[in-house]
Amino acid sequence: MIDAWIEWMAATRLSAMMLDSAWTWPLAETVHFAGLVLLAGTVGLFDLRILGLGRGIPPVAIHRLVPFGVLGFVLLVATGALFVFGTPDQYFHNAAFRWKLALLGLMGANAAFFYAMPYRALTRLGADGDAPRSAKVCAALSLTLLAAVMFCGRMLTFFRPIDGGS
Amino acid sequence: MNILSVLEQTALSVWLRESPTMWGFPFVLFLHTLGLGIVAGLGVALNLWALGWAERYPAAPLQRAFPVAFAGFALALVSGVLLLVAYPTKALTDPVFYLKLVLIGAALAQLDWLRRRLFAAPLADRPARPDRSIRLLAGVALALWAGAVLTGRLLAYTYNYLTAADLMQ
Repeated sequence: MIDAWIEWMAATRLSAMMLDSAWTWPLAETVHFAGLVLLAGTVGLFDLRILGLGRGIPPVAIHRLVPFGVLGFVLLVATGALFVFGTPDQYFHNAAFRWKLALLGLMGANAAFFYAMPYRALTRLGADGDAPRSAKVCAALSLTLLAAVMFCGRMLTFFRPIDGGS
Repeated sequence: MNILSVLEQTALSVWLRESPTMWGFPFVLFLHTLGLGIVAGLGVALNLWALGWAERYPAAPLQRAFPVAFAGFALALVSGVLLLVAYPTKALTDPVFYLKLVLIGAALAQLDWLRRRLFAAPLADRPARPDRSIRLLAGVALALWAGAVLTGRLLAYTYNYLTAADLMQ
Protein backbone atom coordinates (compact mmCIF):
# COMPACT_ATOMS: atom_id res chain seq x y z
CA MET A 1 0.00 0.00 0.00
CA ILE A 2 2.69 2.49 1.06
CA ASP A 3 4.93 1.27 -1.74
CA ALA A 4 2.17 1.97 -4.26
CA TRP A 5 2.07 5.57 -3.00
CA ILE A 6 5.83 5.83 -3.20
CA GLU A 7 5.80 4.57 -6.77
CA TRP A 8 3.07 7.02 -7.75
CA MET A 9 4.82 10.00 -6.12
CA ALA A 10 8.19 9.13 -7.65
CA ALA A 11 6.58 9.07 -11.11
CA THR A 12 5.05 12.57 -10.87
CA ARG A 13 6.42 15.57 -12.75
CA LEU A 14 6.82 17.31 -9.40
CA SER A 15 9.21 14.59 -8.30
CA ALA A 16 11.24 14.94 -11.50
CA MET A 17 11.32 18.71 -11.06
CA MET A 18 12.83 18.34 -7.56
CA LEU A 19 15.58 16.04 -8.82
CA ASP A 20 16.36 17.40 -12.29
CA SER A 21 17.79 20.75 -11.28
CA ALA A 22 20.65 21.07 -8.83
CA TRP A 23 19.09 24.18 -7.28
CA THR A 24 15.48 23.28 -6.57
CA TRP A 25 16.37 21.17 -3.54
CA PRO A 26 18.65 23.71 -1.79
CA LEU A 27 16.20 26.54 -2.51
CA ALA A 28 13.28 24.52 -1.14
CA GLU A 29 15.41 23.79 1.95
CA THR A 30 16.11 27.50 2.37
CA VAL A 31 12.39 28.31 2.20
CA HIS A 32 11.76 25.43 4.66
CA PHE A 33 14.21 26.99 7.15
CA ALA A 34 12.77 30.47 6.59
CA GLY A 35 9.34 29.02 7.43
CA LEU A 36 10.84 27.47 10.58
CA VAL A 37 12.23 30.86 11.62
CA LEU A 38 8.88 32.61 11.08
CA LEU A 39 6.91 29.92 12.92
CA ALA A 40 9.29 29.45 15.85
CA GLY A 41 9.84 33.19 16.33
CA THR A 42 6.27 34.45 16.30
CA VAL A 43 4.51 31.49 17.93
CA GLY A 44 7.45 31.14 20.33
CA LEU A 45 7.17 34.79 21.42
CA PHE A 46 3.40 34.36 21.97
CA ASP A 47 4.04 31.19 24.01
CA LEU A 48 6.64 33.05 26.10
CA ARG A 49 4.13 35.85 26.84
CA ILE A 50 1.59 33.26 28.02
CA LEU A 51 4.29 31.79 30.27
CA GLY A 52 4.83 35.24 31.80
CA LEU A 53 7.69 36.83 29.83
CA GLY A 54 6.79 40.31 28.59
CA ARG A 55 3.98 40.94 31.05
CA GLY A 56 2.90 44.53 30.43
CA ILE A 57 1.70 43.76 26.93
CA PRO A 58 -1.66 41.96 26.55
CA PRO A 59 -1.33 38.45 25.03
CA VAL A 60 -3.82 39.35 22.27
CA ALA A 61 -1.42 42.07 21.11
CA ILE A 62 1.45 39.57 20.76
CA HIS A 63 -1.00 37.23 19.04
CA ARG A 64 -1.10 39.73 16.16
CA LEU A 65 2.27 38.23 15.11
CA VAL A 66 0.85 34.70 14.84
CA PRO A 67 -0.39 35.09 11.21
CA PHE A 68 3.30 35.34 10.25
CA GLY A 69 3.76 32.00 11.99
CA VAL A 70 0.85 30.58 9.99
CA LEU A 71 2.57 31.81 6.82
CA GLY A 72 5.75 30.08 8.03
CA PHE A 73 3.81 26.87 8.61
CA VAL A 74 2.33 27.00 5.10
CA LEU A 75 5.87 27.39 3.69
CA LEU A 76 7.05 24.46 5.83
CA VAL A 77 4.27 22.14 4.69
CA ALA A 78 4.56 23.16 1.02
CA THR A 79 8.33 22.66 0.84
CA GLY A 80 8.10 19.56 3.06
CA ALA A 81 5.71 18.07 0.51
CA LEU A 82 8.23 18.88 -2.24
CA PHE A 83 10.93 16.85 -0.45
CA VAL A 84 8.58 13.90 0.05
CA PHE A 85 7.56 13.97 -3.62
CA GLY A 86 11.22 14.28 -4.61
CA THR A 87 12.42 11.13 -2.87
CA PRO A 88 9.35 9.41 -1.35
CA ASP A 89 11.30 6.19 -0.66
CA GLN A 90 13.54 8.17 1.72
CA TYR A 91 10.63 9.27 3.90
CA PHE A 92 7.87 6.71 4.23
CA HIS A 93 10.20 4.01 5.53
CA ASN A 94 12.08 6.48 7.74
CA ALA A 95 11.49 6.22 11.52
CA ALA A 96 12.39 9.90 12.07
CA PHE A 97 9.80 10.94 9.46
CA ARG A 98 7.07 8.88 11.14
CA TRP A 99 7.92 10.42 14.51
CA LYS A 100 7.90 13.85 12.92
CA LEU A 101 4.39 13.29 11.48
CA ALA A 102 3.14 11.96 14.83
CA LEU A 103 4.55 14.98 16.68
CA LEU A 104 3.02 17.33 14.09
CA GLY A 105 -0.32 15.63 14.81
CA LEU A 106 0.18 16.31 18.52
CA MET A 107 1.09 19.91 17.69
CA GLY A 108 -2.17 20.26 15.75
CA ALA A 109 -4.19 18.73 18.60
CA ASN A 110 -2.51 21.07 21.08
CA ALA A 111 -3.31 24.10 18.90
CA ALA A 112 -6.92 22.93 18.40
CA PHE A 113 -7.39 22.51 22.16
CA PHE A 114 -5.77 25.87 22.82
CA TYR A 115 -8.08 27.78 20.48
CA ALA A 116 -11.16 25.83 21.62
CA MET A 117 -10.55 26.29 25.35
CA PRO A 118 -8.13 28.75 27.01
CA TYR A 119 -7.78 31.20 24.10
CA ARG A 120 -11.07 32.99 24.80
CA ALA A 121 -10.11 33.74 28.40
CA LEU A 122 -6.72 34.86 27.13
CA THR A 123 -8.22 37.45 24.78
CA ARG A 124 -9.80 39.16 27.80
CA LEU A 125 -6.52 39.27 29.67
CA GLY A 126 -5.12 42.77 30.32
CA ALA A 127 -1.58 44.02 29.82
CA ASP A 128 -0.33 42.65 33.14
CA GLY A 129 -2.65 39.63 33.27
CA ASP A 130 -1.46 36.19 34.29
CA ALA A 131 -2.60 33.48 31.83
CA PRO A 132 -4.70 30.58 33.14
CA ARG A 133 -2.83 27.38 33.92
CA SER A 134 -4.38 25.50 30.96
CA ALA A 135 -2.99 28.13 28.57
CA LYS A 136 0.45 27.83 30.17
CA VAL A 137 0.41 24.05 29.73
CA CYS A 138 -0.47 24.53 26.03
CA ALA A 139 2.30 27.10 25.60
CA ALA A 140 4.93 24.88 27.24
CA LEU A 141 3.77 21.95 25.10
CA SER A 142 3.90 24.11 21.98
CA LEU A 143 7.54 25.10 22.64
CA THR A 144 8.52 21.50 23.48
CA LEU A 145 6.82 20.11 20.36
CA LEU A 146 8.46 22.75 18.14
CA ALA A 147 11.89 21.63 19.38
CA ALA A 148 10.96 17.94 19.08
CA VAL A 149 9.75 18.37 15.48
CA MET A 150 13.03 20.15 14.62
CA PHE A 151 14.90 17.27 16.25
CA CYS A 152 13.09 14.70 14.09
CA GLY A 153 13.67 16.84 11.02
CA ARG A 154 17.40 16.87 11.67
CA MET A 155 17.41 13.11 12.28
CA LEU A 156 15.83 12.37 8.86
CA THR A 157 19.18 11.97 7.09
CA PHE A 158 20.57 9.86 9.95
CA PHE A 159 17.65 7.43 9.70
CA ARG A 160 17.34 7.38 5.94
CA PRO A 161 16.70 3.85 4.78
CA ILE A 162 18.57 3.95 1.45
CA ASP A 163 21.90 5.62 0.87
CA GLY A 164 22.40 7.99 -2.00
CA GLY A 165 19.27 10.14 -1.83
CA SER A 166 19.42 13.84 -1.20
CA MET B 1 46.44 24.28 5.20
CA ASN B 2 48.53 22.32 7.67
CA ILE B 3 46.55 23.60 10.62
CA LEU B 4 43.35 22.31 8.98
CA SER B 5 44.63 18.75 8.81
CA VAL B 6 45.94 18.96 12.40
CA LEU B 7 42.50 20.13 13.52
CA GLU B 8 40.82 17.35 11.55
CA GLN B 9 42.98 14.76 13.31
CA THR B 10 42.03 15.88 16.84
CA ALA B 11 39.98 13.35 18.78
CA LEU B 12 36.98 15.71 18.94
CA SER B 13 36.97 16.30 15.18
CA VAL B 14 37.30 12.60 14.39
CA TRP B 15 34.57 11.70 16.86
CA LEU B 16 32.19 14.32 15.46
CA ARG B 17 32.71 13.06 11.90
CA GLU B 18 32.81 9.35 12.52
CA SER B 19 30.75 8.60 15.64
CA PRO B 20 28.02 6.24 14.47
CA THR B 21 25.41 7.44 17.00
CA MET B 22 22.76 10.10 16.45
CA TRP B 23 24.17 11.91 19.51
CA GLY B 24 27.28 12.99 17.60
CA PHE B 25 27.10 15.04 14.44
CA PRO B 26 23.29 14.79 13.94
CA PHE B 27 22.62 16.04 17.48
CA VAL B 28 25.02 18.97 17.04
CA LEU B 29 23.17 19.83 13.81
CA PHE B 30 19.90 19.79 15.78
CA LEU B 31 21.34 22.14 18.44
CA HIS B 32 22.50 24.46 15.65
CA THR B 33 18.99 24.46 14.14
CA LEU B 34 17.40 25.05 17.56
CA GLY B 35 19.75 27.97 18.24
CA LEU B 36 19.01 29.38 14.79
CA GLY B 37 15.26 29.01 15.38
CA ILE B 38 15.53 30.94 18.65
CA VAL B 39 17.85 33.78 17.61
CA ALA B 40 16.64 34.31 14.03
CA GLY B 41 13.04 33.58 15.07
CA LEU B 42 12.99 36.15 17.86
CA GLY B 43 15.11 38.52 15.77
CA VAL B 44 12.46 38.44 13.05
CA ALA B 45 9.51 38.54 15.49
CA LEU B 46 10.88 41.53 17.45
CA ASN B 47 11.59 43.43 14.24
CA LEU B 48 8.08 42.67 12.97
CA TRP B 49 6.84 44.00 16.31
CA ALA B 50 8.86 47.19 15.84
CA LEU B 51 7.43 47.55 12.32
CA GLY B 52 3.80 47.03 13.20
CA TRP B 53 2.78 47.29 16.80
CA ALA B 54 5.46 48.94 18.89
CA GLU B 55 3.76 52.33 18.77
CA ARG B 56 0.57 51.08 20.40
CA TYR B 57 2.15 49.34 23.38
CA PRO B 58 4.97 50.04 25.81
CA ALA B 59 8.11 48.46 24.36
CA ALA B 60 9.88 47.84 27.66
CA PRO B 61 8.11 44.56 28.63
CA LEU B 62 9.58 42.80 25.57
CA GLN B 63 13.13 43.63 26.72
CA ARG B 64 13.16 40.23 28.39
CA ALA B 65 12.90 38.47 25.03
CA PHE B 66 16.35 39.76 24.02
CA PRO B 67 18.36 37.64 26.50
CA VAL B 68 16.43 34.61 25.19
CA ALA B 69 17.39 35.55 21.63
CA PHE B 70 21.06 36.00 22.58
CA ALA B 71 21.00 32.66 24.46
CA GLY B 72 19.78 31.11 21.19
CA PHE B 73 22.74 32.73 19.46
CA ALA B 74 25.12 31.29 22.09
CA LEU B 75 23.70 27.82 21.37
CA ALA B 76 24.08 28.32 17.61
CA LEU B 77 27.62 29.63 18.12
CA VAL B 78 28.82 26.74 20.31
CA SER B 79 27.24 24.11 18.06
CA GLY B 80 28.53 25.99 15.02
CA VAL B 81 32.08 25.86 16.38
CA LEU B 82 31.66 22.09 16.83
CA LEU B 83 30.47 21.75 13.21
CA LEU B 84 33.52 23.78 12.19
CA VAL B 85 35.81 21.51 14.23
CA ALA B 86 34.27 18.50 12.46
CA TYR B 87 34.78 19.90 8.93
CA PRO B 88 37.12 22.93 9.14
CA THR B 89 38.33 22.71 5.52
CA LYS B 90 34.79 22.48 4.17
CA ALA B 91 33.70 25.79 5.75
CA LEU B 92 36.92 27.79 5.76
CA THR B 93 37.63 27.29 2.05
CA ASP B 94 34.09 28.30 1.05
CA PRO B 95 33.53 32.07 0.51
CA VAL B 96 29.82 31.57 1.29
CA PHE B 97 30.81 30.73 4.89
CA TYR B 98 32.41 34.17 5.38
CA LEU B 99 29.40 35.85 3.79
CA LYS B 100 27.20 34.00 6.28
CA LEU B 101 29.31 35.24 9.22
CA VAL B 102 29.09 38.84 7.98
CA LEU B 103 25.29 38.62 7.58
CA ILE B 104 24.88 37.16 11.08
CA GLY B 105 27.22 39.76 12.60
CA ALA B 106 25.22 42.56 10.99
CA ALA B 107 21.89 41.03 12.04
CA LEU B 108 23.07 40.68 15.66
CA ALA B 109 24.40 44.25 15.72
CA GLN B 110 21.01 45.49 14.46
CA LEU B 111 19.18 43.41 17.09
CA ASP B 112 21.19 44.91 19.93
CA TRP B 113 20.78 48.38 18.40
CA LEU B 114 17.00 47.82 18.27
CA ARG B 115 17.04 46.76 21.93
CA ARG B 116 18.93 49.85 23.04
CA ARG B 117 17.06 52.25 20.75
CA LEU B 118 13.49 51.08 21.33
CA PHE B 119 12.97 48.37 23.94
CA ALA B 120 15.51 49.31 26.62
CA ALA B 121 15.76 53.06 26.03
CA PRO B 122 15.04 55.31 29.01
CA LEU B 123 11.49 56.64 28.73
CA ALA B 124 12.70 60.19 27.96
CA ASP B 125 14.82 59.01 24.99
CA ARG B 126 12.34 56.49 23.64
CA PRO B 127 10.56 57.58 20.47
CA ALA B 128 6.77 57.71 20.89
CA ARG B 129 6.52 55.69 17.73
CA PRO B 130 9.21 53.76 15.88
CA ASP B 131 10.88 56.41 13.73
CA ARG B 132 12.10 56.13 10.18
CA SER B 133 15.53 54.73 11.08
CA ILE B 134 13.99 52.01 13.26
CA ARG B 135 11.55 50.97 10.56
CA LEU B 136 14.17 51.06 7.82
CA LEU B 137 16.68 48.97 9.78
CA ALA B 138 13.93 46.55 10.85
CA GLY B 139 13.28 45.87 7.17
CA VAL B 140 17.01 45.47 6.53
CA ALA B 141 17.23 43.04 9.46
CA LEU B 142 14.53 40.79 7.96
CA ALA B 143 16.62 40.62 4.76
CA LEU B 144 19.81 39.93 6.79
CA TRP B 145 18.21 36.98 8.59
CA ALA B 146 16.85 35.62 5.30
CA GLY B 147 20.36 35.93 3.85
CA ALA B 148 21.88 34.16 6.86
CA VAL B 149 19.43 31.26 6.44
CA LEU B 150 20.11 31.10 2.68
CA THR B 151 23.91 31.13 2.98
CA GLY B 152 23.82 28.69 5.90
CA ARG B 153 21.81 26.21 3.89
CA LEU B 154 23.96 26.66 0.79
CA LEU B 155 27.10 25.63 2.74
CA ALA B 156 26.03 22.02 2.24
CA TYR B 157 26.20 22.55 -1.54
CA THR B 158 28.79 25.22 -2.33
CA TYR B 159 31.90 23.77 -0.68
CA ASN B 160 34.90 22.91 -2.86
CA TYR B 161 36.92 20.75 -0.47
CA LEU B 162 35.45 18.50 2.22
CA THR B 163 38.67 17.76 4.13
CA ALA B 164 42.30 18.87 4.11
CA ALA B 165 43.17 15.76 2.10
CA ASP B 166 40.97 17.00 -0.75
CA LEU B 167 42.86 20.27 -0.63
CA MET B 168 46.25 18.56 -1.20
CA GLN B 169 45.11 16.83 -4.39
